[in-house]
Amino acid sequence: MAKSDVMNSNHADTRTVMATCPACGLLCDDVLVENNQNKISVLANGCAKSIAFFEQAAGNTTPRIAGEPATLAQAVAKAAQILKAAQKPLFAGLSTDVQGFRALYELAQKTNATLQHMNATSSQRNLRVLQSSGWQMTTLTEVKNRADVVVCIGTDVVTHNPRFFERFIQQDGMFIGAEQRETIFIGENIKKNDALERSSLLACRASNLSEITLVLRALVLGKKLKVTQVAGINTSDLQAVADKLKKAKYAVLAWVAKDLDFPHAELTIQNITETVVILNQTTRAAGLQLGSSDGDTGANYANTWLSGLTLSEDQAIQHDAVVWVNSFSPEKNPPDSGLPTVVLGNPNSRPASEPDVFIPIATPGLDCSGTLFRVDGSVTLPLKKLRETDLPTLSDVIRKIEAQLG
Amino acid sequence: MITLLKNGKLYDPAHGIDGVVQDIYIRDGCIIAKPNAHEKITQAYDLTGKVVMAGAIDMHSHIGGGKVNIARMMLPEFQETKNYSEPDAHVCTPNCSHNATPSTTDTGFRYIEMGYTAAFEPAILPINARHAHLEMGDTPMIDKGGYAMLGNDDYFLRLLANRADQKTINDYVAWTLAATQAIGIKVVNPGGISAFKFNQRRLDLDENNIHYQVSPREILKSLSTAVHQLGIAKPLHVHCNNLGAAGNFETTLNTMGASDGLPMHLTHIQFHSYGTEGDKKFSSAAAQIAEALNKNKHITADVGQILFGQTVTASGDTMMQHLNAKHANPKKSVIMDIECDAGCGVVPFKYRDQNYVNALQWAIGLELFLSVEDPWRIFLTTDHPNGAPFTSYPHLIRLLMDKTFRNGAFAKLNLDAQAMSNLTSLNREYSLYEIAIMTRAGAARLIGLNDRGHLGIGAAADITVYTDQADREAMFSKPDYVFKDGELVVKNGKVVKVVWGATHTAKPAFDHSAEQGLKEYFEKYHTIQLDNFKISDDEITQDGRGQVITHTNKS
Repeated sequence: MAKSDVMNSNHADTRTVMATCPACGLLCDDVLVENNQNKISVLANGCAKSIAFFEQAAGNTTPRIAGEPATLAQAVAKAAQILKAAQKPLFAGLSTDVQGFRALYELAQKTNATLQHMNATSSQRNLRVLQSSGWQMTTLTEVKNRADVVVCIGTDVVTHNPRFFERFIQQDGMFIGAEQRETIFIGENIKKNDALERSSLLACRASNLSEITLVLRALVLGKKLKVTQVAGINTSDLQAVADKLKKAKYAVLAWVAKDLDFPHAELTIQNITETVVILNQTTRAAGLQLGSSDGDTGANYANTWLSGLTLSEDQAIQHDAVVWVNSFSPEKNPPDSGLPTVVLGNPNSRPASEPDVFIPIATPGLDCSGTLFRVDGSVTLPLKKLRETDLPTLSDVIRKIEAQLG
Repeated sequence: MITLLKNGKLYDPAHGIDGVVQDIYIRDGCIIAKPNAHEKITQAYDLTGKVVMAGAIDMHSHIGGGKVNIARMMLPEFQETKNYSEPDAHVCTPNCSHNATPSTTDTGFRYIEMGYTAAFEPAILPINARHAHLEMGDTPMIDKGGYAMLGNDDYFLRLLANRADQKTINDYVAWTLAATQAIGIKVVNPGGISAFKFNQRRLDLDENNIHYQVSPREILKSLSTAVHQLGIAKPLHVHCNNLGAAGNFETTLNTMGASDGLPMHLTHIQFHSYGTEGDKKFSSAAAQIAEALNKNKHITADVGQILFGQTVTASGDTMMQHLNAKHANPKKSVIMDIECDAGCGVVPFKYRDQNYVNALQWAIGLELFLSVEDPWRIFLTTDHPNGAPFTSYPHLIRLLMDKTFRNGAFAKLNLDAQAMSNLTSLNREYSLYEIAIMTRAGAARLIGLNDRGHLGIGAAADITVYTDQADREAMFSKPDYVFKDGELVVKNGKVVKVVWGATHTAKPAFDHSAEQGLKEYFEKYHTIQLDNFKISDDEITQDGRGQVITHTNKS
């Protein structure tokens, strides 16, 4: 099949499209999907996450007020009423694309709301490093074409980004063949990836990663250690990793902030990024942040250019209403806050407790077009509308709410 | 609906008008000839005694895209200084947010409040163009546009290394302009960003990129020829090799010869005018550079003036930014290799008037301004935010127009730097007419904006009205009125109406069969689909905010 996103009319009711998948931060845009009588199925280049995303049911398009079916106008009026009554609402979840985020940002300005993405805690781990020391990073096409040694720290990557190795490591690049690459995993609960040639694992507890990355940083700097073991790993094994990094032409040190789920994980990330800085004094190396979901990268970027500041974690402000947005992930529920709650959500959402208002919205990349940022931040891709729906977009709903705020 | 601007004193260099009192009529966003007596004037402004110019155009300002946003993300402390006054360090307009990395909203507002009606992002990585347009789309008030970066991307370097013919190069350049919705082509440290990825740390004009075995000179020749043959108005925008390095003026002088007489624009040339004389082995080579600019009529330049205070440098030049990262203040920086396309380096900087090098950089910029004879070939920039935030333009204009003020500022500099500069011997004071050339007519002509930068019939009614004041900084900080496409948008320095501006592009024709090579390259080496690389007009005009204006090729 030719790689093209041209819609081929194979059959009156069937068409195939090359779609962009928003289910993880890689934004694979080579996923071949078929629309057969408005039902989407993945034909090629799917993964478990993308199949779950593209093949999700159309869902119920009826809004609800306190669990009872309502018209869109009624639900919008109720949502506007909640926002009008609130002094300091929290807009959370924020699982949407750039266009949806722009609309949310404007509504937040008008309603004095705080914005907080569902991935804020893990995003903060990275941002703290960026804002403390900066970093030296790379992007996926550079990895595919240059990386000769890839170290994955505290993560198997594939749990978050299923096709990472298939698309970027097990491929021949411009300057390196797939079989010449070496992959090293350091961490806990890392599944052996049998498809990877020349891969190795240094097993350790996640809670020890801070110490291990600090030692690796020291070894790369040329420090000699007297101890023979660090947190259960032989110093000689870490020395071997350090030597490989120093010899590499383009070493890549990757991590997933969500997997570094322990206190002060930013110090572990900083050990990784400062190791890269040391390597770059003599050879070439780069950091690579992976993971990402629910439009977190784009929400953070857009908030930054719109306001001048990154999205932050909740500053323990007392809120008096919650607006929850979960376009991409029906399974992600609003916090159980006890506050008046409006959900602008994926139609397949099953909130644990029924919100005051539920308005099902179109999912970008499935029900409507959109724009999303890839996890490496440098690539922004269009999302396509793949099926017909009556659902309004998030921006449509927000415009209607704004119109009622007066 | 006809608006009359009555009795203003016009400075319109595109038509040789130098302070002539004349009326302007506006209809449907454009300047029109004097209407018939029976046509109704809907609105009139008495501009007696006021100075009237076309809206100013910033031809080089990092207003959108990855680098600036990384700077914002890395430097939250810049935002926190919003209400903080640093009187001796930071000079700016009354409304300035004291911020080298304003939000998109602030960017548009601060520009229009100074009478600027357009700004051009000079370093759009093609792969990052969609992001740049998203940001520019959220920048209100002004027109926008950008220059796409080529010359370090592996696709181009492979073509050059394989001795591809000029037509193939031309097709790729034209394809890139169309795909990225840009109006010009930029090259940053030709070959050097790529070389850094192969661990090469410096690259001189006639040195080869170690992998591709092609030299910056060959890259400049190839790209300037492509731009010329495609008939794009905007000459190749060149950020020379060896930015910021002592002794780099020789590279700059040699670069002027790299295009064999075809037009090139050397950007932020202040950063490329350094000698190695004196005890500190860092000196001004402004005289040599200015002399060469005066002689080489095919070369234009903008200055990239530095002004003292806190800012951040954001550049595609990873090779030199990595070298400069040790000077970061505050001590943090971002260096990125990006998509086999280019890279970026973001390094915060605090320029201090008591620092020898910084003080001399300040003087070198002004020496260049005052020594380059033809105001049509030199442009007023601070390389925002690299030399200083664009909000310091009124201050810079005063430095150029007011010798007493300039010499007073010079006298406060580091004494060793004063001893190494001939600035006080330069008596030139820019006239209003010359300022109008540099910031309006010249910039529009350079970029190929035929209906901007002037006040002739048919021009878009982007018009700025000032009160003539001896204090030129006060004058240029706060126009009385700014009209954007005929609408009054600023009154007494404050925005009275929010508009969204257009995106200016150039799309020369190309042979679409050239896409075959790109398609193969993308499938083999890239990580996105070729079709997703291209940005449609709809993506820019969505939300009903913008419009795409495509300028036809010159001649």
